[in-house]
Amino acid sequence: MSELPNNPSSPQSQSDADRLNFETLSKLVEVQGIKSNTTRGFKARIAWSLSYLTLLLVITPAVLIVGHVVLQALPHFQFSVLTSNTTGLGGGLKNEIAGTLVIVLGVLVIAGGLGILSGIYLSNYAKNKFGNFLRSSSEVLAGIPSIVFGYVGYIALVVHFHWGFSLGAGLITLSLMVVPYVSKTTEVALRQVPSGYSEGGEALGLSEGYILRRITLKSALPGVVTGIIVAVAIATGETAPLLYTAGYSQNLPKLAVTHSPLGYLTYAVWTFYNQPSKAAVQLSYDAAFLLIVGVVLLIVISRIVVSASQKHSENR
Amino acid sequence: MFESASRGEVADTVPAEKGRSELYELDPSDIVLKTKSLTLGFGGSTVLDGVSLEFPRGSITSLIGPSGSGKTTFLRSLNRMNDGIRGYRRQGEVLLDSASIWDSAVNLLQLRRRVGMLFQRANPFPMSIRENVLVGVKAHGLAKRNDFDEITETLLKEVGLWKAVSDRLNGSPFSLSGGQQQLLCLARALAVRPEVLLLDEPTSALDPFSIELVENLIAKLAPKVTFVVVTHNLAQARRLSHATAFFFQGRLAEYGPTNKIFTAPSQLDTQRYVSGSIG
Ligand SMILES: Nc1ncnc2c1ncn2[C@@H]1O[C@H](COP(=O)(O)OP(=O)(O)O)[C@@H](O)[C@H]1O
Ligand SMILES: [Mg+2]
Repeated sequence: MSELPNNPSSPQSQSDADRLNFETLSKLVEVQGIKSNTTRGFKARIAWSLSYLTLLLVITPAVLIVGHVVLQALPHFQFSVLTSNTTGLGGGLKNEIAGTLVIVLGVLVIAGGLGILSGIYLSNYAKNKFGNFLRSSSEVLAGIPSIVFGYVGYIALVVHFHWGFSLGAGLITLSLMVVPYVSKTTEVALRQVPSGYSEGGEALGLSEGYILRRITLKSALPGVVTGIIVAVAIATGETAPLLYTAGYSQNLPKLAVTHSPLGYLTYAVWTFYNQPSKAAVQLSYDAAFLLIVGVVLLIVISRIVVSASQKHSENR
Repeated sequence: MFESASRGEVADTVPAEKGRSELYELDPSDIVLKTKSLTLGFGGSTVLDGVSLEFPRGSITSLIGPSGSGKTTFLRSLNRMNDGIRGYRRQGEVLLDSASIWDSAVNLLQLRRRVGMLFQRANPFPMSIRENVLVGVKAHGLAKRNDFDEITETLLKEVGLWKAVSDRLNGSPFSLSGGQQQLLCLARALAVRPEVLLLDEPTSALDPFSIELVENLIAKLAPKVTFVVVTHNLAQARRLSHATAFFFQGRLAEYGPTNKIFTAPSQLDTQRYVSGSIG
């Protein structure tokens, strides 16, 4: 660059030919530049448009479904729905709400606990063939259709162990179904924790458990919580495996492992929607609406928890 | 910049024995840490062969040598940080106060409390500045809750961070500069009252001003704490340490008083390395 004729420090006595060459050259560069800029801009615009389009394709159904449910449910929503049990094809949803809450709590404890523990194991210790075996088993588990889980739960727990339709059978079946999501996200999140954290902890003489609890798990919490949310959302949204294992009841859930059939919101959504009575269809929309509210609440609460825990995070 | 350059010149003309690290007397018979024919490797390959070194209490020892010469491997063996690494092999001994660090009676956590470590990249934990200082104290049960505030203040003053962070003790350590983060890690390491601190290129990611802070601090702490410092900065080894060990081609090539290593080394390789013709 310093040899170019427009450099102030270069001698002024450049030959005309040189100057001409330079000017032609710079014009050429300019033209080229403009051209490649416009093609690039054009391509970028196409890429952006496609991105927006696909985003729209994803968002539209979600908005339509949620909007439809809210519009159908909200105008006629009565608070008695929250306070009375279902009777026949009418009444309220108190027993289903309680049942869904019990199921969510149970799945949170069983699948959350098992998933976090196995995620810790997979990320920290299972770096060998056995670990890979466990990992693929978990992926297979995640790929099994929910109806198969329901049927296996029915054959094994409800029939073979004589548990009958019960909370225990429902919880175990649902938990096994969603545990891979928690363990996978926990494992991945733990692997992404900077190795400097655990090394620093080791160098300070902190025990493995202390490092895990106070440093690495805390730093992996956003990922772990995402996995738990997905797991709980799947569990609350499922009907098929529960029909086979938890059965249905119009009473409040009985907190017993066996012989304790219970109601849940997805049952109401699924069963009442196809009934001829208007009240039943209304209950179906109410149940769907309550499920949506529940999931939104779950997400909001988890965001708050996560952001409180990440006050001192490196990536803030 | 100017400050560190001028000190570099001083180091070139004044023998290292008259440097700041000679302000106190060492007792050469009081050896806190010692390796005996230590041979280290990973899988089939040997990284270091038969290293015997002694670290007098309160001394500062520099480990120098080209990349890959095994300085880090050696350093991490001194508090058993390599034990969990795949394929790690060792022969020979490391003695802390004359007792093997691999003896079955040794409590690993206690060993690491006594022999701490600082890394090349500052690695504060994702917790508040105050918690970073206190985490080791709490885990080892070294003090009562009532004393935590005082301990935090004392340590942060000791490393010269107090003024900068006293108004944000509950803030994130990642809001600090790289140099300040390293000083915080030093405070965290000092909080558990180590006897030996292993430093693996502690200043290589820092600016000259922070380097000087860290060096001054090491020199100040040295009578109480024994330092083993891996460094690629020859001028640093020269101005900071009592003794220097030169690792080369899988062996401890030469070891002696820093001044001798830099002015009258007995090996040609050492001469060539410290004069900058290899490295
Ligand atoms: N975890 C490991 N597994 C296998 N080889 C390693 C490992 N760590 C270091 N090494 C090897 O040991 C040798 C010395 O490395 P290192 O101690 O890091 O050298 P230095 O710190 O002097 O640059 C290198 O050849 C390196 O490849
Ligand atoms: Mg190294």
